Amino acid sequence: MISQDGVNLAVCVITAHFGDLVAKVCSCLLKRGSLSLQEIVRTTEFSNSQVKNCLLVLIQHNCVQAFSVPRGGAGGATKTVTQYMALFDNILHRMRFSKFLAIVKGDLGVQCETLLQGILGYGRLTFDQLMVRATSKQSEGSSCNVDVLRKNFSKLVHGHYVERCPRPEPFIAPSEEAAPARKRSSKIIHFVLQFREEILSLEQQVVIAASLTDAERFSEIPNTGTDASVTEDKQDVTVGDKQIPFGEDQRKFESTELDEETEATISETEVLWRANFQKFVFCLKKKVCVAKVRSRKGLDAGVVLEAIIESSEQECDSSKIYGFKASMDSILEKVRGKPDGISMTLELVRGILEDLDCSSHTEDCNVYYTIELQCITESCRKDEVESLILTKYGKEAFRIFGLLNRKGSPVETDQISDFTLVDKKVAQQVLYNLWKDDFLSMQKVSVEGTGQRRENFLWKLNKKSSWNLVLNHLYHAALNLNQKITHVVEQEHEALLSEEKLKHLKNSRTILELSLLKLDDAIMIFHDF
Amino acid sequence: MQLVSKSQLPMLPQKRPHPDSKSKPPPLPEAEQKIYTSIKSKQSMGIWTADIKRETGLPNTVVTKALKSLQNKNLIKDVVNVHNRAKKMFMAVEFEPSREISGGSWYTDGKLDTELINALKRVCLRYIAEHKVTTMEEISRSIEASRVLNVPCSMQQLLEIVRTLVLDKEIEEFRSKGAGEFARVPSGKTCYRISRGKVGTEAGYLASVPCGVCPRISECTPDGVISPKTCVYYNKWLNLDF
Repeated sequence: MISQDGVNLAVCVITAHFGDLVAKVCSCLLKRGSLSLQEIVRTTEFSNSQVKNCLLVLIQHNCVQAFSVPRGGAGGATKTVTQYMALFDNILHRMRFSKFLAIVKGDLGVQCETLLQGILGYGRLTFDQLMVRATSKQSEGSSCNVDVLRKNFSKLVHGHYVERCPRPEPFIAPSEEAAPARKRSSKIIHFVLQFREEILSLEQQVVIAASLTDAERFSEIPNTGTDASVTEDKQDVTVGDKQIPFGEDQRKFESTELDEETEATISETEVLWRANFQKFVFCLKKKVCVAKVRSRKGLDAGVVLEAIIESSEQECDSSKIYGFKASMDSILEKVRGKPDGISMTLELVRGILEDLDCSSHTEDCNVYYTIELQCITESCRKDEVESLILTKYGKEAFRIFGLLNRKGSPVETDQISDFTLVDKKVAQQVLYNLWKDDFLSMQKVSVEGTGQRRENFLWKLNKKSSWNLVLNHLYHAALNLNQKITHVVEQEHEALLSEEKLKHLKNSRTILELSLLKLDDAIMIFHDF
Repeated sequence: MQLVSKSQLPMLPQKRPHPDSKSKPPPLPEAEQKIYTSIKSKQSMGIWTADIKRETGLPNTVVTKALKSLQNKNLIKDVVNVHNRAKKMFMAVEFEPSREISGGSWYTDGKLDTELINALKRVCLRYIAEHKVTTMEEISRSIEASRVLNVPCSMQQLLEIVRTLVLDKEIEEFRSKGAGEFARVPSGKTCYRISRGKVGTEAGYLASVPCGVCPRISECTPDGVISPKTCVYYNKWLNLDF
């Protein structure tokens, strides 16, 4: 369930990028859940065509997913209805395009970055459309090399930075029908997570049903072989390296080649590609975890963590739900390939892996290490909340919060005061303030002792709700930063501003934009990682 | 004439009772006795004045007079309750206030001795900083040997100080692995070292913007009286007050 602050932020992003009309349709879907076209028309009071156009824009930019559900009609007849669902995560990803571009630029270079920019800007494009865009952007006098474009595009696909768009309108059967059967079909997919079955929300079911397999998502555009030569001599036909005798075999071969050509043409002109947000989220998660480990345990530890993640990506499957596993040999190879890791000894690397709480096991005479990033991301969340408590409520509150976080169970006021060496009166006030702002839960307990009846208070940190509270604050702060940026831009355009004031406003805008990028890192820590 | 010590002289009958004699004190007046019994029954927990009045049912003036008299006779004493320093609390002289009343060893007259605590923290931190990895026993021995403190400090008290340093993230607590930098500490023993990196001191993302610490965040709305456009904290943060 998305909070009001989250909805407000998402609507702000859509308004800034697509205008008020589209934002209203999106807001309607975010607040009310998935709706049919007619339901959206009724709610927004827009015309049919206006709503359709808005939905088209949102679907084009991967902010809305359509799906079909059966609905009982009059007389017991069942008909299929198309519903639309807002994709909250994808909407927020629109704030991060500059980060995604920086990742690709760092990994694959400027040309790939430019290609990705086109895909992000248009939401989804065919390869053909990408080429047209790239050609039109070339300056006069310089030619656009199609092969270079194709090669760069292949790099993006191979690196999983772009993917084929999901199914446009998957069919979602009602859960009572689906559960007993548990069939796998091309349209209805039941997600089994590590031999457990999870109860999935409608949004999760739709996203899974729409998803292609990894093989399909990252299936590259077939190369039609531009260096193929076909001679006029019908006796011997040379296609590439193959020499095909004329006759029936040749006709068969030619028809196969035509199919491949048709397939390639279809791939280039009809298959839509979009940015693979999962990959970018993973890259950012890796970056944050490495930075955290580097700041906590030193540069060497950061190098080793990066090495184990990269080795794991190469050795194992990419769905890293439960940890990154790599052999010691591959970790060492990666470590020594980095500038800061050249001189690191086996003993040092082993020590760091133990310090990072990696589990190890032996397999086929090789030692494997596994690390779970969840511990590191949880540590990032804890640090963020503690930093907020320290700044907003003071050092005593920081200490008390740290104690309650460690204990995990209710603790009595005097015990808190004794353990943290905070004055009892001050401790009471701090606990009350934290409770008032919903960081803590409180329980009153009556105690009988030496003929007197006293009321004791027990305090507990409810991590889940505290973390949600902070996430909502982050959404609210990001919304405010966005609005302040808009306000400063409006002020910049005011007439009769002195040069000094204009410069000051521009500097303020820079500070706000950088702060928003940083704040977005924190949103990802709490929501995406 | 032979000199004899006083103790060899026969005891003569005394006309007046000696002040140091162990004869029973005179009985207390009824009101004082009632109040004294009530106070003594509470032992180390003590009792508020208001509760004395309620339990004994005696009028205000009688209670006040009786309490003063009992104090003069050195039968009761007033103690400060750490939870409510303003209210008067009494206890029989033979009892020491319980931890619940006094606040514990770190409290004097109901006030936390922050000066002593901070001094001990500085001393412990200095010792831990000088040694890569150290245990509680080593810290305690070192402080005792250095005689930097003019008050005795038990191991338990030092442990409480060190625990607050852990909560403040000035130091880290570990279980020794018995190898590497923990080589001289037996495996499994709790030890401490100075925190590495900027743990706990680096400002978080949310704390770095005005909204993160704003006391009016719940009232802030895009078009409300309190909004980003009108926010005074933003203007101060960006020096936009022109």
